Amino acid sequence: MNATIVRLAAQALLGRRRFWLLLALPVLLVALTVLIAVLTDREAAWPLLPGLGYPIVLPLVAVLAASSVLGPEVDDGSIVYLLSKPISRHGVALSKWVVAWAATLVAGALPLFVSALIAGGGDRAPAIGLAAAVAGTTYSALFLAVSALTRHAVIVSLLFVLIWEGLLGNLLSGVAWLSVAQWGLRIGYEVSAALPDPTNLVWAVLASVVVTVGGVWLAGDRLRSFSLRGED
Amino acid sequence: MAERTGVIHDLGYRRYDGPRDGTATIARTLYVTGLRHAFGLGRSGKSKILPFLLLGLCTLPAAIVVGVVTLISLDELPIGYASYTTQTQLLVSLFAAAQAPVLFSRDLRHRSIVLYLARPLPAPVFALTRWLSLTSALLVFTLLPQLVLYVGALLAGLDVSDQTTALLKAVALLLLTTTVVAGITGLISSVSLRRGFAIVGSIVALVVVPGVVTAVQAIAQAEGADDVGVAAGLASPWSLHSGLADAWDAGVTVFTPPSGGWVVAYLAVAVLVAAVTTAALVRRLMKVASR
Repeated sequence: MNATIVRLAAQALLGRRRFWLLLALPVLLVALTVLIAVLTDREAAWPLLPGLGYPIVLPLVAVLAASSVLGPEVDDGSIVYLLSKPISRHGVALSKWVVAWAATLVAGALPLFVSALIAGGGDRAPAIGLAAAVAGTTYSALFLAVSALTRHAVIVSLLFVLIWEGLLGNLLSGVAWLSVAQWGLRIGYEVSAALPDPTNLVWAVLASVVVTVGGVWLAGDRLRSFSLRGED
Repeated sequence: MAERTGVIHDLGYRRYDGPRDGTATIARTLYVTGLRHAFGLGRSGKSKILPFLLLGLCTLPAAIVVGVVTLISLDELPIGYASYTTQTQLLVSLFAAAQAPVLFSRDLRHRSIVLYLARPLPAPVFALTRWLSLTSALLVFTLLPQLVLYVGALLAGLDVSDQTTALLKAVALLLLTTTVVAGITGLISSVSLRRGFAIVGSIVALVVVPGVVTAVQAIAQAEGADDVGVAAGLASPWSLHSGLADAWDAGVTVFTPPSGGWVVAYLAVAVLVAAVTTAALVRRLMKVASR
């Protein structure tokens, strides 16, 4: 961990236009929940969370956060100045992940919890809040690793979320065993039975921890043997 | 800007007096190159993976449907042409979001746009050509599965006139929808030059917003406030597509189908969005060109 890198990564994340995009998604979700809760009843707004907030808004926030802390530097090549400093590459990856993780929790998991409170609340709200926090943590580490692996990090991450977890996850129930979102839901299920219970708890916890730790480690490892390439 | 007399190939050497290909040829070449680049052809091997992966994913279900129709000899397709596009809209959106930056961001980010515009090709024509390349790429992407379905249906001996009518309706809807989608994604990627952010921006416009619209329509229908749902349908390209397809009886059903004046409104909004985004794209390129 390095305080300066954390500060720089936070600046890169909060600076300029991408901050507004990062802010727009949770604001849209909460505003829509409030609108529907006010116009109809609170219960009617609940389907927004398992249907839109959790499977799309949360991972999109994580993709934006994770690719913002690493992507632009890799893109314009200025990462070499950072890598030429005598700081452990794993320290660099960890510092960047902490920023992406905090952003995902604040702009992804927290608005989901707030929306759930507005949409009926009960024990479903802390349950989906916990699920979002767990999935957000795993997503941010996974997408950070993807950002370090390929220049096409955003599209690869989106393919994983939209095609693998979304499209195929709806068709094939077995995908739940390899789906970050479903692991989060399984852990949230311990708080409230209103959530689905796909895989089993031990697997969900283990897989989340392994992907989180492994993702940050892999990002650091890729930075250790980083080579600059031109655009393809 | 002063009247430009010389172009970049006029270096003061002995002049070339032979025939020169005009703007039309340059535009046509640029169009073909753009169309090829959208599918990664003529680019590195890595760039071919994504478009062809998505194209494969989008076409595979059509081949499976044809196989099922043939094997158990159904007398109609289990999925309509227009509804096939609705079902695969996620893949089409991903393709558009991923490939629009290829056509619009790269030239601007690396300033190679200057080289294009040093040729006697006006900036608006450049912008329109690029836009046309993206629209055509989207058309190819969405029409290929439809063609597989159509040819399969005809070979399986289904009624020719029924199939042709349904296909033509779907093609007409696609012509409208692809211009809207190309306009939106093209504009986003010409404004946001970082590839990643252009993609996320397009995904917000093509996946998140339609998701919100569908949710609102479902709730509106459940609450009996159909007009709210119909009005919400104006907000996204895919809900415009499905709404028009439902109103036109093209085999798609939405929660709150538009009727009467709303159909005209849907059509007008689609045409307006396509026109406005394309005009904004041209303005953006002209602004860049004058720098």
